Amino acid sequence: MSLEVLGITVLMTFLFGYIIVGAIDFGAGFFNAYSLLTGKEHILTNVIQRYLSPVWEVTNVFLVFFFVGMVGFFPSTAFYYGTTMLVPLSIALILLAIRGSYYAFETYGASGHKGYSFMYGMAGILLPASLSIVLTISEGGFIDMVNGQPVLDYGALFTSPLTWSIVFLSIAATLYISAVFLTWYADKAGDRDATELLRKYALIWSLPTIITAGGIVWELRSHNADHYNQLLGLWWMFALSGALFIGTVYLLWKRHNYGLAVWLLIGQFALAFYGYGIAHYPYLLYPHLTIHDSFTNPAMATALIIAFILGLGLLIPSLYLLLRLFLFNKDYVKGRKKDEHA
Amino acid sequence: MDEFLMFYAPFIVLIGAIILAFIVAPMDGAATRPPKEKKK
Amino acid sequence: MGNEESVFFSRVLTELTLSFHIIYATIGVGVPLMIMIAQWVGIRKNDEHYILLARRWARGFVITVAVGVVTGTAIGMQLSLLWPNFMELAGQVIALPLFMETFAFFFEAIFLGIYLYTWDRFDNQKKHLLLLVPVALGASFSAVFITIVNAFMNAPQGFDLVDGELVNIQPLVAMFNPAMPTKVAHVVITAYMTSAFILAAIAAFRLLKGSDHVYHKKALFLTMKLGLIFSIGAAVIGDFSGKYLAEYQPEKLAAAEWHFETEGEAPLMLYGILDGQEVKYAITIPYALSILAHSDPTAEVIGLNDFPEDEIPPLYIHYLFDTMVTIGVLMIMVSGLYWLGRHMRWRFIHSRWYRWLIVAGGPLTVIAIEAGWWYAEVGRQPWILRDIMKVPEAATTSGHVDTMLYLFATLYLILGVGSVVVLRRMFRNNPVEREIADREAEVREGTRKGGDHR
Repeated sequence: MSLEVLGITVLMTFLFGYIIVGAIDFGAGFFNAYSLLTGKEHILTNVIQRYLSPVWEVTNVFLVFFFVGMVGFFPSTAFYYGTTMLVPLSIALILLAIRGSYYAFETYGASGHKGYSFMYGMAGILLPASLSIVLTISEGGFIDMVNGQPVLDYGALFTSPLTWSIVFLSIAATLYISAVFLTWYADKAGDRDATELLRKYALIWSLPTIITAGGIVWELRSHNADHYNQLLGLWWMFALSGALFIGTVYLLWKRHNYGLAVWLLIGQFALAFYGYGIAHYPYLLYPHLTIHDSFTNPAMATALIIAFILGLGLLIPSLYLLLRLFLFNKDYVKGRKKDEHA
Repeated sequence: MDEFLMFYAPFIVLIGAIILAFIVAPMDGAATRPPKEKKK
Repeated sequence: MGNEESVFFSRVLTELTLSFHIIYATIGVGVPLMIMIAQWVGIRKNDEHYILLARRWARGFVITVAVGVVTGTAIGMQLSLLWPNFMELAGQVIALPLFMETFAFFFEAIFLGIYLYTWDRFDNQKKHLLLLVPVALGASFSAVFITIVNAFMNAPQGFDLVDGELVNIQPLVAMFNPAMPTKVAHVVITAYMTSAFILAAIAAFRLLKGSDHVYHKKALFLTMKLGLIFSIGAAVIGDFSGKYLAEYQPEKLAAAEWHFETEGEAPLMLYGILDGQEVKYAITIPYALSILAHSDPTAEVIGLNDFPEDEIPPLYIHYLFDTMVTIGVLMIMVSGLYWLGRHMRWRFIHSRWYRWLIVAGGPLTVIAIEAGWWYAEVGRQPWILRDIMKVPEAATTSGHVDTMLYLFATLYLILGVGSVVVLRRMFRNNPVEREIADREAEVREGTRKGGDHR
């Protein structure tokens, strides 16, 4: 495997990590706010808070890791994406800032403050939408080169059906992933009311997820034929992904083994995500930038990979400890431990 | 000499200060001592 | 929007983000160490007050950390959004410490989550304290790695520039550049210093507001002692920085000191005003600049007239330097006198005006941090990468930077006000006296039930 392929694989893995933990996080914030609106907070808030509290900061790191790594391994992305994405990414940053800080304000400083809960709930649901614009732009067709400088064509971007399909997919998938995960979590906590409600949400959001996902493939046929053809070449990955999707929905429907349902869900998204990514190869930005011509020098690449391996040696045991103490700790999940913050 | 001050001494001072902080921190006898009475 | 405007607004937005972020970042780096020391003292002396002190600091710390994390994410991404040409070039040489910083941050984030939620989980408090070690290490190393990137901008090395292409790149050589040791050590120790004085200000404020609880007295004495140690350390390292500047960035030192002619026995001028090249009304300390630059009262210090006019930084940085130094010295004196006064049982350190002075020390040290960073950044002008890339070449060509500036300014206002409101509310609703009483009641309850206090 060449260094650039190794680099992009590492980055994709972290992006995938962010998509999953971020989706759980953002969706949970949204469901929490929604339950306040419909007066069902007594059912949901408890379970959501127990999950979110110890991990919210970790979620954010996945994103930072991804974009710092991106600029590290592929410095030219700073030039192309940095120049063109000022507005969408700034908006994403602002949403991220509101979401992160108001979450902390509500949890640690002003428990049950409705305004704060709404703020982070809403910011969380808009975030995937604004971040997903990056994926749209990477398909090409929205960036013109003017005097050697890349310029984003907002008109084309916001009138393209592809943009909106991706936006809808990002929101639907966020809520779907989050609801499936929280169903399992609530079930583990033995909270029957919350499990039922979240299971309902999961089933509701499964359909829009799969429809928009299919819609995007269809959009790509006319927008980026190259990418579309490569996607077809990997049809088996998507077929498998679809099968796992059906498996998840089936388990939810039958109220059977929610833990397995979560794993199938992760498998479904992993297959679709890596399939999409592999089909994107070698482009980082159609048609301007490939992973080969944007790659950093071999000395830096080697240093980054060594740092990455050493870092993982530190992180994996720590993450394991975090999960063992909270997520996979029966007493904690069921609220038996007296683990109030600070 | 300047080389030493520029490259090594900063870290020595930093680490020294942290260690000193831990040594001095528990000595809190003076924290609660009342001030001297005013002279009559 | 013209390109010049893009450059201007990119600079303002970066300055705004950094100025806001640095407040929370400084607290984020320093406070974990303070919590650790307090909890350690509490365990060693078996003193519930220090444990509670650590616990209450940790509670407030979460709020500041949240703002620090999100604004840190903002500046991380803004580097690419506002300075894409810089990142494309510099990323090839200095991406390594940026990357390592995310690991340090990751490490800190994981253990902070664990630490906050396990106060009552361990019977042995020492185990809980152990969880704080990675938090403090991660926080300090985040500062180390990020400051290395900044040091590289001041003293780039570890590559060769051939026809505008970077060749022969050595990431580790780039990291261990000559600006790195003094800069890193100064940033880290001033973070400890500032955190200590902010916490001291809170304790002094409680005492002023009528609370006479011994808890606040212990808190004040502890933080003033720590502040004294770290502020002296900061001054010593600051002196080393002078030697670094004299050798590697003489124009930055000369501009800060309004030193025009290259000469020996150079005096240090504080404040004053500039009339042409003449300094008026300044406080002059003879030989001090030569000593700062070369530890030798007769040594020659390079003056500004040796540099081309378009390569010297703006001369107002003189005042930034003076502000930083003045506040630093003032805080050494305030904390030194307090410490001495406690031992000698002097009365005046208990007077209202002295306590107000300590309260003022909190915001003052934050101002010193800001002044220090502005000095560091403006003092590098016109370069973004010294001798290699100037600021205008690095900036984005995108329009809308001005709109983003207004958006972010609003965001920082919301976050700043929000964090202050939440912090005030948090501590006002749960004063320490009540918490101490609650805990004592709990312990009594526990012993009656046979020692089951889990």
